[in-house]
Amino acid sequence: MADANPFQDPLRFERRLPPCAVVIFGANGDLAQRKLLPALYRLAFERRIPPGFAILGNSRTEMSDEQFRDKMRDAVARFLEDSPFEQALWDDFARGLYYVAGDLSDPGLYQRMAGRLETIAAERKTGGNVLYYLSTQPSHYGPVIEGLGSAGLQKAPDEGSWRRIVIEKPFGHNLTTAFELDRCVHKVFDESQVYRIDHYLGKETVQNILAFRFGNGIFEPLWNRRYINHVQITAAESIGVGSRGGYYQEAGALRDMIQNHLLQVMATVAMEPSAVFEPNAVRDERAKLLRSIRIMKPQEIELNAVPGQYGPGRIGGEDAKGFRQEKGVDPEAQTDTYSAVTFFVDNWRWAGVPFYIRSGKRMPKRVTDIAIQFNTAPLSLFPSEVSSRPNQLILRIQPEEGISLRFVSKQPGGGMRMRPVSMDFNYGSSFGVRTPTAYETLLLDVIMGDSTLYTRQDMVEASWRVVQPILDYWAERKFDLPNYAAGSWGPKASDEMLARRGHVWRIP
Amino acid sequence: MSTAAPAPIQAEKILKELENLWISLGQQEGEDESTGVLRACSMTLLVAIEEPPFGGEDAAAPDTRADVGETVAELMHDYPSRAIVLRVPMGDAPLLDARVFAQCWMPFGRRQQICCEQIEISATRPSLPHVPAVIRGLTAPDLPLVLWCRDADLLEAPAFDQILPLASLLIVDSRAVRSPRQWLAKLRTLESGGLRVADLAWTRITRWRESVAQLFDHVDLRGLARKIESVTIRYSTPDVPVAAMYLGAWVRACLGREVGVTLEQAGQAMPWVIQEMVLEGAGVRASIVRRDRNAVEMETSGHSTRLQFQRLTDAELVREELSIRGRDEIYERVLDLL
Ligand SMILES: NC(=O)c1ccc[n+]([C@@H]2O[C@H](COP(=O)([O-])OP(=O)(O)OC[C@H]3O[C@@H](n4cnc5c(N)ncnc54)[C@H](OP(=O)(O)O)[C@@H]3O)[C@@H](O)[C@H]2O)c1
Repeated sequence: MADANPFQDPLRFERRLPPCAVVIFGANGDLAQRKLLPALYRLAFERRIPPGFAILGNSRTEMSDEQFRDKMRDAVARFLEDSPFEQALWDDFARGLYYVAGDLSDPGLYQRMAGRLETIAAERKTGGNVLYYLSTQPSHYGPVIEGLGSAGLQKAPDEGSWRRIVIEKPFGHNLTTAFELDRCVHKVFDESQVYRIDHYLGKETVQNILAFRFGNGIFEPLWNRRYINHVQITAAESIGVGSRGGYYQEAGALRDMIQNHLLQVMATVAMEPSAVFEPNAVRDERAKLLRSIRIMKPQEIELNAVPGQYGPGRIGGEDAKGFRQEKGVDPEAQTDTYSAVTFFVDNWRWAGVPFYIRSGKRMPKRVTDIAIQFNTAPLSLFPSEVSSRPNQLILRIQPEEGISLRFVSKQPGGGMRMRPVSMDFNYGSSFGVRTPTAYETLLLDVIMGDSTLYTRQDMVEASWRVVQPILDYWAERKFDLPNYAAGSWGPKASDEMLARRGHVWRIP
Repeated sequence: MSTAAPAPIQAEKILKELENLWISLGQQEGEDESTGVLRACSMTLLVAIEEPPFGGEDAAAPDTRADVGETVAELMHDYPSRAIVLRVPMGDAPLLDARVFAQCWMPFGRRQQICCEQIEISATRPSLPHVPAVIRGLTAPDLPLVLWCRDADLLEAPAFDQILPLASLLIVDSRAVRSPRQWLAKLRTLESGGLRVADLAWTRITRWRESVAQLFDHVDLRGLARKIESVTIRYSTPDVPVAAMYLGAWVRACLGREVGVTLEQAGQAMPWVIQEMVLEGAGVRASIVRRDRNAVEMETSGHSTRLQFQRLTDAELVREELSIRGRDEIYERVLDLL
């Protein structure tokens, strides 16, 4: 790589990418147009993209390279967030865009692809490095991986170059299919080549949890069962399922959000410090934490997991449909558009501390945050309702990334009147710079070969092991759904789940 | 040379005024428990500026005085600080004056204001000797002091000999200095005395340097940097700009002193300083050429790439310098070569 480059200045230069070609399967799709291309263009805008760079798109629609460029230009201009679109820069960037049409189940596609990649390597000087990005429906993962394998495309042409593959979630529909996917991947790729993307881990604030916990001396001593009463992780969306009703019906909130994103977030909050900040060391600790989450028995699930589904309601003065009224949804669907689960971590640090995780659609607002609730002071010196309110540390992931700490202070004037105050740190405004999108961070990482923020197979399996018993238990039962109105904070049963331990959900 | 002493200003009095300011800001905020102002401070930022600024009217001249306020306000978002703006108006009449105010902004979707304090001191040259004592009383406790001296000439004033020891970082801008060699020698002396010196003329060439590094990431050039024998840097100003000197010295710092570096005029005035950089050696040729205000073109083995080079504001430049913790060894090596 750039090892022998005498012009390096790590203090000032941004990380730059080595030359490479990115092959996007499903390039005509939503994710590619909405996230991937805008992220890659933005990296070019920041001068991070090397001259030897190319993108080869694939999907079934017949398009010439030129047509593909035009289509991607429209997508980038439309979906680029808080960055200017520069035509001249685009023209330069677009010269590296190529397209090959074909069905993923057609073995001939991979042969054609191999030919194109060779020409591109010569034309664009990509050094033989190739990143495959699976931005297709999961049912295609198997055929693509096999196709790449049979055309020998997983093998780098020489010692100094590499081949990597990025897989989008979901990594299996359940524990069994997760194993199947893994077997299929490993028939062709070595684990070191595989990058399972969980875009939550690419979010700045999720990364900042590590900096916050392990870069400061004052929090870690408090980060345990002695001082922390419980943790609440909330991922709420205000939108419904929109046009993805058919897909969502088969997934549900527990699968779609908790099994992957939120358990990863929980692992980041609760993991032990790693000895070094290196990809596998950090991932080992995350995986260890996931394996320490207690796997619930049926009688525990009854008390500690609540499915919900939104019925019709009103949001912002407008009528909102119920889930079963959405397009493509079975009117009898038992899908959980909301899930709340109480997890326990069976280790010395966390024994007995509940981790409440909830995620739902059609909530009052879009917000993702983590609230660490500390124990109250052991003795209440000040006779006030306020002073018995516990300290709370809120790690906000979206919409405004930041951290706030809530504590009590004396109000000025006579007497001991208390008032809660909050100390806020806002990620974007405190650093005054634009925060990169999760896809920018993750694409940069994979091309650099840094897998710290990517999920490893043992993590995928560990989180399926935790979630699978709940899914199985729910599948055997018929719930009285819908049980919350669109625009509310979820079903009553979820509040009751916390009330049993004397806790209440915060209103984020 | 000075005659009547100006009315004294006292640090304590200014601090008292600041305290009153905070109280009144607090009162303006409602009783709603989640609001209130947040006072933030991570350093003392002392900005010294001569008024009106000297210098030409070309694009390379320092920004106008009104910009200082804006630049400081912009910097506050990333580096909340107690900002002290020392304005030195030209003239011989004794003058020493101070006022305080707050810079506030509402970053959290209107939940809470963040405020930083700003103190403005005006002192003519004859009154400058009174300033160090005031500054000593005004620095925020336990936090570093950064001195940003906008006008190189000010550093010559004896008062700055007393202020410099308080600083952990000195920021200057060599873009418009009159005798670059002497000036750079002065920076070297300060640097070797243990003060970290940052020069915005150096900061401005970060992107040039980064582009050179990027050239040698290219497959065709990887590992070939050591083959470079000569480097030509073309500039568009009448005199050799410090930026070009830095760039040339940097190449030598990276590749060894034997590399031939030529600095020459590009032949035509442009609204930017560096016009072109050509690196050549046995079997190696690469160039970076400024195409317009916002972009350069990088070329190697017939392959060209356009790179964004947006014009950077002073705030962006200072921000880059403030983001560096500890010494900048590459800059120190370059300074030693000049
Ligand atoms: N969308 C998001 O924001 C998002 C977020 C997180 C994760 N994901 C995951 O990312 C992946 C991609 O999502 P997506 O929404 O972009 O998917 P998509 O739009 O359904 O599919 C991508 C494209 O694949 C092409 N395609 C379909 N069948 C094909 C075949 N047999 N052969 C070749 N190409 C075929 C289609 O284009 P043609 O019609 O031209 O063939 C389609 O536009 C999924 O795994 C999804 O779960 C998506």
